[in-house]
Amino acid sequence: MGVVSRSVGNAFRNKVRSGAVVVILAVAIGLALAMLVANEAVGSRVDSLKASVGNTLTVNPAGSRGGLGGGEPLTEAELAKASAVDNVTSVTGTLVVRLRNAAEATGSTTGTGESAAPGRGGPGGGFGASGTTSLVSAVAPGSIGQRNNSNGGSAPAGGTAAPTFSIPIQATGVAASTTATGTAINVTNGNQLNNFDAASTQALVGSTLATKNSLKVGSTFTVQDRTMTVTGIFDAGDTFENNAIYLPLAATQALTDQAGQLSSLTVQVNSIDNVASTQAALTSALGASNVDVTAGSANLQSAISSLGSVANISLIAYIASLATAGLIVLLIMIMVVRERRREIGVLKAIGASNRTIGVQFVLEAMVLVVLGTVVGAVVAAFSSSPIANALVSGNTPSASTTAAGPGSTPGGGGFGGGGFARTRGALAGAEQLIGTISTSVGWQTLVMGAVGILLIAAIGALIPALLTAKVRPIEVLRGE
Amino acid sequence: MLSVTDVVKTFNSGDRTIKPVNGVSFSLEQGTFAAILGKSGSGKSTLLSLLGALDKATSGDVVVDDVNISKLPDRKLTAYRRDDIGFVFQSYNLIPNLSAQENVMLPMEFAGRSHSARSARAAELLNQVGLTEEMHSRKANRLSGGMQQRVAIARALANNPKLILADEPTGNLDDETGELIIELLRRLAHEKKTTILVVTHDQALASQTDRKFRLARGKLTEDD
Repeated sequence: MGVVSRSVGNAFRNKVRSGAVVVILAVAIGLALAMLVANEAVGSRVDSLKASVGNTLTVNPAGSRGGLGGGEPLTEAELAKASAVDNVTSVTGTLVVRLRNAAEATGSTTGTGESAAPGRGGPGGGFGASGTTSLVSAVAPGSIGQRNNSNGGSAPAGGTAAPTFSIPIQATGVAASTTATGTAINVTNGNQLNNFDAASTQALVGSTLATKNSLKVGSTFTVQDRTMTVTGIFDAGDTFENNAIYLPLAATQALTDQAGQLSSLTVQVNSIDNVASTQAALTSALGASNVDVTAGSANLQSAISSLGSVANISLIAYIASLATAGLIVLLIMIMVVRERRREIGVLKAIGASNRTIGVQFVLEAMVLVVLGTVVGAVVAAFSSSPIANALVSGNTPSASTTAAGPGSTPGGGGFGGGGFARTRGALAGAEQLIGTISTSVGWQTLVMGAVGILLIAAIGALIPALLTAKVRPIEVLRGE
Repeated sequence: MLSVTDVVKTFNSGDRTIKPVNGVSFSLEQGTFAAILGKSGSGKSTLLSLLGALDKATSGDVVVDDVNISKLPDRKLTAYRRDDIGFVFQSYNLIPNLSAQENVMLPMEFAGRSHSARSARAAELLNQVGLTEEMHSRKANRLSGGMQQRVAIARALANNPKLILADEPTGNLDDETGELIIELLRRLAHEKKTTILVVTHDQALASQTDRKFRLARGKLTEDD
């Protein structure tokens, strides 16, 4: 019989009391663990929200929205100006142009319609093309395409519709292997662009376009009079997005005679908290009459702040639950020490040191805490998900009853620009952004849980253990 | 050899000072079976606590084999209680949820002896005090008073102490069992050369000891 087995035995001397203590501890520890799990789940959700929409701003020429307006294109000088604004970490400029099929273009005048931001779905986009290509669109124009074509700014001379028509192919000139919104291009076959010179012949082709034109990595096609080589096939997620190509920015500018011009700037802000102020700063730096600066989503801020308050609540509840568990251990052990003063006196009288007795009581408390933790972990396993969701739904501002527009998801800008997406997207509630919080136990949760529980066990047990040192051996003679 | 010289213990009770032990001096040779007789409240238990290093004397010296325990620091007093003293109490003071054998093993555990060594010695001691094998594994609170006192005596003997201090060892026992315990203590004193000092108000017990002292109003006198 050593001190460990004696401590375990002592923990169950009063089975009813120990059982009750374990149950109470289990509830407190279970709640603490559930709060910790909720905290982590909400934290990771905030991270993914920030990552999904991120701290990006889009700068478009003023009046270019939807391809309907006029205005002047952005320039490299404006890119440099934007880079100098506070809290801006990087600025990426892209030039989006539309390329008509060379065969169709023969005999018809090509407009120099203003290029626009990438995306789709926005109404009223004119099909003004900046150049020609040998590629054939993989998307059939349909009635909408025909209507847009007839309404577009590139009406053929004479006012009659062209006898054959296909949707122009969108070519995005990029200065790095990223999309216009700053995310990496998903190349499924071949390589990313790596030659961004004006004379570069590299191109990335969308998968549907590649299939339609029987292109493989290494195949060639023409843009204006230059023969381009397919370095990679990309997949942007859907058929329409894949009916496009990426070209080096400088080459795009050279090929379409738009030297130094850009259609949009994607600005990375150093923190989500600075997005609003940077938006204002960019607008004033570039001139409110020259540019429109749009943020990803107005709802993001409210989504993140409501999640942030949930994270705070769960953290406070975690600490409070642990403190409660610590108090339970403390009180029960103080009671046990008082109850066993005489026995402690006996142990001291027969030669036990203060340390031996202290260790025995700490171990006894640890037995209760470990049992409480095991039962509490089971409680947490079943309760953390509902608790996390209850906390989130209770702290999220309710969604607007107005139906969300088609551009309700952030980043899903209209064909003609992000501005439409913002105004329509603003009607969607923060709730949609938050979605369902799924809980999972990560290693940080386990480490934090373990540290917290050890801390309460230590606090709960040390004070009573120190009290045992104060019990004098003469207690053994008390009442004799 | 136990030598007590002019030991005084005072307590403050409100504005009064009480002296339950007031200038006690005596000495006992090794292997002596002695008794201190006194009425309730005469200071017997206080004297016992001073001899057993459960409490410190206000003044005076308690010397056990040339070591003055009234001058030892607390840490050494723990070792002194563990190695040199055995206690037997009126209400046995066994740990109730441990078996008889585990109770006897406790002082040896504190002395750092191996589990097998203390288990074997505990069984041997329990046999010596007349506890049959089947009682060794019985929980202390399921033993009769006489048996518990035998276990307590075995526990007191565990680390081969020089001195056994017994506080009313027969106080809770019937006459017959009490006599068996007295006989056991006397035999141990003579066979093992252990000094045994019994504090009691039981004349029958005192009459069987080698030396008898009386404690009254804090003063000790020896009976002839």
